[in-house]
Amino acid sequence: MIGALKNWTDQFLGRGGASITVPVLDGALKSNQMLEDAEVFAQLKAPEDLATDGDSVFVADGMRVLRYDALADGGAAAEAARFDRPVTALACLAGGGLAVALDGREVRIAGGPHDGRRWEGADGRAFLSVNAIGAASAGRILITEGSRTQPQERWKHDLMERGHSGRAIELTLASGAVREIAGGLAYAFGACLAGSGPDAEIWVCESWRHRVVQCGGARSGRAVLDGLPGYPSRIAPSPGGGYWLTAFTLRTQLVEFVLREPAFRKRMMREIEPEYWVSPALNSGNHVLEPLQAAQLRTMGVVKPWAPPRSYGLVIRLSPEGLVRYSLHSRFDGKHHGVVAAVECRGRLFVLAKGCQRVLRLTVADAERSLQA
Amino acid sequence: MSPHSRPKDDASPAGQNRGAAGAPGQLSPILELRKATKKYAGVPAIEDVDFALLPGEIHAIVGENGAGKSTLTKVMAGVVNLTSGQMLIEGRAVNPKTPYEASALGVAMVFQETSLVPTMTVAQNLFLGHERYFNRLRGIYIAAQQFMQSLQFDVDPTVVVSLLGAAKKQMVEIARAVLHNAQVIIFDEPTASLTPEEKKYFFDLMYNLKARGVSVIFISHALEEALLVSDRITILRDGKHVVTDDKVNFNRARIVQAMVGRDLSQTLYGQRKTTVRPQGKRVLSVQNLRMAAMVKNNSLSVFAGQITGVFGLVGSGRTETFKVVAGIMKRDFMHGGEVLLHDKPVRYYVPAPAVGDGIAYVTEERKIEGFFETKSIADNLYLGLLAKLKGKRPLVSRKEAAEVGTHWIQRLNIRAIGKDVKAIELSGGNQQKVVIAKSLIQEPDLIIFDEPTRGVDVSAITEIHQLINQLADQGKAVVVISSYLPEVMALSDRILVQRMGKVVEEFSAIEATEEKIMYAAIH
Repeated sequence: MIGALKNWTDQFLGRGGASITVPVLDGALKSNQMLEDAEVFAQLKAPEDLATDGDSVFVADGMRVLRYDALADGGAAAEAARFDRPVTALACLAGGGLAVALDGREVRIAGGPHDGRRWEGADGRAFLSVNAIGAASAGRILITEGSRTQPQERWKHDLMERGHSGRAIELTLASGAVREIAGGLAYAFGACLAGSGPDAEIWVCESWRHRVVQCGGARSGRAVLDGLPGYPSRIAPSPGGGYWLTAFTLRTQLVEFVLREPAFRKRMMREIEPEYWVSPALNSGNHVLEPLQAAQLRTMGVVKPWAPPRSYGLVIRLSPEGLVRYSLHSRFDGKHHGVVAAVECRGRLFVLAKGCQRVLRLTVADAERSLQA
Repeated sequence: MSPHSRPKDDASPAGQNRGAAGAPGQLSPILELRKATKKYAGVPAIEDVDFALLPGEIHAIVGENGAGKSTLTKVMAGVVNLTSGQMLIEGRAVNPKTPYEASALGVAMVFQETSLVPTMTVAQNLFLGHERYFNRLRGIYIAAQQFMQSLQFDVDPTVVVSLLGAAKKQMVEIARAVLHNAQVIIFDEPTASLTPEEKKYFFDLMYNLKARGVSVIFISHALEEALLVSDRITILRDGKHVVTDDKVNFNRARIVQAMVGRDLSQTLYGQRKTTVRPQGKRVLSVQNLRMAAMVKNNSLSVFAGQITGVFGLVGSGRTETFKVVAGIMKRDFMHGGEVLLHDKPVRYYVPAPAVGDGIAYVTEERKIEGFFETKSIADNLYLGLLAKLKGKRPLVSRKEAAEVGTHWIQRLNIRAIGKDVKAIELSGGNQQKVVIAKSLIQEPDLIIFDEPTRGVDVSAITEIHQLINQLADQGKAVVVISSYLPEVMALSDRILVQRMGKVVEEFSAIEATEEKIMYAAIH
C-alpha cells in the first residue's frame, strides 16, 4: 500500500522511478569524433556481428561469414562460411572453428573439433533471439538471448513493452550441456568472461537497464557498470587487458518519458510504423516522418527547428575492473551510428556500425595518443 | 623602510607624490585617508593605510583576497568605521557613520551584489529614499527618463529591476549615485559577472563619469582591467598600503609582485598540468537537476580519485548545484531531477543525512556557515564528528574533543596557541583549515570545496592545495568550486564550466587554457 502510494506520488511529482533523467556524457565518456572519423574498412549489406581469432577479423553479413585480413587495406574478403539462415551472432572458438547463432533460434558450431554441434533451446525453452556469443572458461561458450517474447529484429517492440525476459546461457562444447546462468534480464545483449581462474566472473550487458551486470558466482546481480548513458550492446575482451563495450544508441529524456507512458506506447505501437516510433534507432534523420522533425524551440528569442536525437555511435574502453577509461563517439550529426560490436585484432580496433552497415577500423595506439593530447 | 611602507620618494612626478595631499602645483585630493586602520576583534583588516583620490580620476585598487580592498572602500562609503586614522573630503575631516551620511558627503558605493530593490521599477529605485510627500508615478518616470538620457544610459525607467541584466543594473546603481550628487563612486568587483560586451559598455560608463568630473574607485581582481581603464593604481597587501603609482609605470608582473610580496604566482598557479589522475568509479551523478532559476537541467558526474574543478561566473549556479547535493538547499519540488550517490538515488532535505552518507561540503561562507566563531577549535572539530555520528554519541566527551582538536591542529598545521583558541581569533587561512578539518573528520567519500582559498593568505593557500591533492591521491572524489581561474587550472584533473545554471563544457586539465574556459563560461 505504501509502495503504491509512493509510486503514485512519484508519478505526480516526477521523482524516484518517474523522474525523467539521463546520465550525462562526461568524464571518460566525453564525446569526440573518433568513431566518426574512423577509416571505413568495409561497407556491407546486412552486417550483424564481429569476431576475431587474433589474426583475422570475421564479420557476419546476412547468411555469410566473411574473413578479413586485419592489416590489409580493406575491401578484400574471403567467405569463411555460409549458412541457410541469417547469422545473428558470431564468435571464434579457442580450439578452432566458429560458433554462430542462426536467425536467433539456433546456435551452431562450424569447423573445429566440435563441428556440427547445435543447440535450439535451453531449459526446455526454444531460443528466439540469440544475439551474442562470447568465450567462457575452457570448452564452454556464453550466449545471450535478448528476449523470449520478441525475435531479434523486433528489439524495439521488446523495449516498448518493457521486456525483461532475456537470459544468459552457458553451453559446453564437448558434452552439449546447457546451463542457464541468469534469467529475467531486461534485454541481455553480450556477455564475456572477466578475469581468469577461479575468480573469473561472467559479465552480461543488460540493455534496457543500461548496465553491465555480473551473473553467476557469489556476487551474482552485482552491477559492474551502472547508469550508462546509452543502451549497451556486445562486450569483448581486449588483448591488452580490459574490455571493449559498445552502445547502440544513447538514452534521451524523450524516450525515457515515453517508456513511462504505457497508454501512449500502446497506441504508438498499434498505429505507427516502428521506424517512426519515438524510440531509439540504429540510424536516423532519413525521413521527414521521423518523430518531431517539425518541432521547434525558442532559444534567445529565436525559433529554431529541432528534432530529438535518436541514434548515436559509442564504443567504451573498460579497464579490467570495469571502470571506464575512454570512449569513441560518432555524435548525433554523424553517420557511424548503431554500434553493436567491437573487437581488437593486431593493434587495430574493428567496430561494426550497424546503422550505416559499415565496419570501421582504428589503430588503438593512435586513438589513445589522440585522446591524451 | 618596511616593504609595506609607502615609497615617499617615488620619482614618478605623476605618481605617488601626486596623490599626496596638498602637494604644491598638484591637484588636491577629493578624498583622502590618513593612517587609516580598521580592526575586527583586534585583528587589523587595514593598518596605517594612506590613500588619496584625485578629482576626475579612475583609481584602481588591487590586491589579493583578504588584502583589505573591500574594508578600505567600505570605510569611505560609511559601511564600516575606522578604528583609528582620519578621512578627509576636499581637505575637511569627516567621519561618515552610515552609507547615508557618506552619500550626503558625495561618496557612493556600488556593491558587487546590487542594492537595488528587485521588485521596484528603475525609476522607483532611482528616487528611493528621496521621495516627496506626494509622488506622481508619471512624473518620476519622466524625470528618470530625462536623467538616464543625460547620462546616455539606455535603460527603460519603467522596467522592473529584476528583469534587467547585470550591466543594466549597474547602470541604475551608477545613475542613482550620480543623481544624488556623488562626486566619488566606488565599484567593488563590478566586472565579475559581466560579459565582454557588457564590460566594454561599463568601461565607457566609467570614462563618461570621469568626463563629468566624478572620481571613480575601481576594485578588480582582473589586472588587465586595472591596467586598461585606470589612471592610477593602488596595491594593498595584508591590509597595508604597498604602492600607488600611475598606471603607465605598472605592468602585470610588477602588480603581481607587489600583490604577493614575492614572485609566488608562478609557483602557486603557473605550472601547467601535463598528466591527470585516471578516473575512478563514479561517486556522484547529477542528472537534469533543477532548482528555481539558479540551476536549470544541470547534469554532471564526479569520479573517485580525481579533482573535478567547477568554474563559472557569479550566478552560474555552481554553488547551488552542490548545495543541493549536500542537502543544504532543496531542488525543485516537482521534476527536480535526480542526484545519485554511488549509483543510488538520494534526496536530502537537511545536511545531516548527506554527512552520514559521506558527503562533506566546505562552504565558501566560512564565517557564516563554517564554524561557531565563539567556540574553540576543538569544540568546532568535535561538532563535526558529532554531526557524522548523529545520535550514536549521547554524551559529549571533553577528553575526546581535546584529542580530536590536538590531532587535527597537528595534521593540518593549524597555527594557533592551542586547541582552546576561539575560531574567531584565527587568521583567515587557519579558520579555513578548521572548516576543512571539521569536514575531513567525518571521513567523507565526496568532498566539495567551495572557494577553498577565498580570503586565505598565500602560505595557507599552498597548504590547502596540498591537502586537496592528497585527498584525491587517497582515492576520494574531490570537487573544487572556484571563481579564480588559475586555481581551478592548477588543481583540477577535469574542469567543468558552468553557465546559466548548467554545465556547458568540460575540459581535461591538459587541454584547458584560460581562454577556452573563459569563452565557455561567457558564450
